[in-house]
Amino acid sequence: MESLSDGDSDVGLGAYGKPQPFGLHHVTAWMNAVGTLLIFVLLVITNLDVAGRDLLNRPLRGTTELMSVGIVVVVFLQLPNTLWAGRFPRADFLIEYVNKRSPRLAAGMQCVFHLVGAIMLTVLCAAIWPELFRAWELGDFFGAMNDFAIPLWPVRLVMLVGSACCALTFLFLAIADLRRVSDPVRS
Amino acid sequence: MTPVLTGVLSLIAMVVLIFTGLHIAVALLLLSFIGVFLIRGHFDPALAMLAQAASDTIQSHDFGVVPLFVLMGLLVSNAQLGSDLFDVANRICRKIAGGLGIATVFANAVFAGITGISIASAAVFTKVAVPEMLRCRYTPEFATGCVAGSSVLGMLIPPSLLMIIYAFLAERSVGEMFLAGVAPGILLATLFSGGIYLMAKFRPAAVQEVSFKPQVAPMNFIEAAVKLAPVLAMVGLVIGGIYAGFFTATEAGAVGALAALFIALARRRLDRQIFWQVLVETGRITVSVLFLIIAANLYSRMLALSALPQGIVSWMTAAEFGMAGFLAMYLLIVIFLGCFIDSVSIMLIVLPLLLPVAKSLNIDLVWFGVITVIAVEIGLLTPPFGLSVYTVRSTLADDRISLLTIFRGSAPFVGMMLLTVLILIIFPGICQPFN
Repeated sequence: MESLSDGDSDVGLGAYGKPQPFGLHHVTAWMNAVGTLLIFVLLVITNLDVAGRDLLNRPLRGTTELMSVGIVVVVFLQLPNTLWAGRFPRADFLIEYVNKRSPRLAAGMQCVFHLVGAIMLTVLCAAIWPELFRAWELGDFFGAMNDFAIPLWPVRLVMLVGSACCALTFLFLAIADLRRVSDPVRS
Repeated sequence: MTPVLTGVLSLIAMVVLIFTGLHIAVALLLLSFIGVFLIRGHFDPALAMLAQAASDTIQSHDFGVVPLFVLMGLLVSNAQLGSDLFDVANRICRKIAGGLGIATVFANAVFAGITGISIASAAVFTKVAVPEMLRCRYTPEFATGCVAGSSVLGMLIPPSLLMIIYAFLAERSVGEMFLAGVAPGILLATLFSGGIYLMAKFRPAAVQEVSFKPQVAPMNFIEAAVKLAPVLAMVGLVIGGIYAGFFTATEAGAVGALAALFIALARRRLDRQIFWQVLVETGRITVSVLFLIIAANLYSRMLALSALPQGIVSWMTAAEFGMAGFLAMYLLIVIFLGCFIDSVSIMLIVLPLLLPVAKSLNIDLVWFGVITVIAVEIGLLTPPFGLSVYTVRSTLADDRISLLTIFRGSAPFVGMMLLTVLILIIFPGICQPFN
């Protein structure tokens, strides 16, 4: 699955874009691929809807609803692999400056940042969990009851799994950073 | 601790953490979460707000506009449309001083009508325009500066990723923001061209090492029309379709992306592998932007709880700051942040805090958006972190041309952008020529 990440010519500093324990990067690459396909599916159904409505006067039912929840699914499916590839936006001028003078200190800083990320994504999981529970218990759905209703629990489940994988990716990045602190040359 | 003080402290901590290098989305989530916890005194409201931000913020048809326009921009970058535009522009401008530079601006302005991300413009025209300019003995500084500078048109002339994000934050329609960028974009392109002409006239040595007019292959009107047709058709389809009311901005993105896909396929510029890479890159950009929007949503909820924006308003009223003072402060903050942080992040950090202030001063939010986008884009060209300059450098991969050279070459364009902001402040009507 490494070929999936060929588009990332610049994988950034240190621990990004490297194999992770338990093959987590393979798992997230597959999730990313599903999200990528989903973007294409959203493109196709939106065009079918527009063409059906403007040309045949028959819009595709549920397009708006699918796009609304689809975009959430895409984001959380692709979140962990985007982090793994080092593509979370950040200001890295300071850390690059430090890295030139002391790679160990830079790796240490990265380790702290990634740990904070792991904690925050875990908190996010804790926030989403009740939402998933509620959506399952109450049978929440998105859209109009008599027209096109999408059950929300699968969406919340993807959000939970995506956030959890992202928290793990952060954690493994932090562990890789820690190795570089003790031995900056080897890795 | 009062809520306002909590808001101020979390804001300061956030800026410090972002500057040390914490991922921006994480910094926004962390400090907003802590802020809400401190203001309300419990974890439960903070968790509930986080859950709402994650579940509700982007669960809307409108956000489909982000991946679709990004995909369209990346596809047209692969379809060789940029080099066709440059050929035609080059033919038109061949007899003017600094002609290749003006042709680059012209081609960029038209290309901006089919792409919404400046890095795409910068990458395309680095490959197309820089080698030709160097061949004609233009100085590397001018050639690269010209490409980096005119790439900012990509996110001012619709479609535009920055306008889309501003529209979400200011609760305006994406179509309305797109329309507002047209005239200022043309103004900026005109100023760029004029500036290049003046540089070529009065400081020719800085533009071209030896005066040398390029040999341009003859091109009749029909050939030029054939080269321009796909681009103009796409501009008409996408931008025209939004205004004619044929489709929403999201649908326009989908139709435009499909059209771009067909053009790239028809020109045999796309195989399965490249298409997959384009789709993956679309996902990368979409995810980083939309996750930031989720984080920024929690942040604006925290700000609302802290009543910090109202605090700023009353402080500014007491200090008799006025609109001019506010604008000056705002532009300084945005341009300063632009030296270090990427465009999208700046908007998501600054706007939740200062949009309420702009509203209370009765500033027209559409006009404010145009000013914001230009000011934010100055950051694409300013050191140490100027994304367009970095893109030109990495696309060129020529060791003889350093980042410093490109930053120096971009400096005149920064000047012309500041001038444009000033003109728009004096003549705000330029943003809404159709009203």
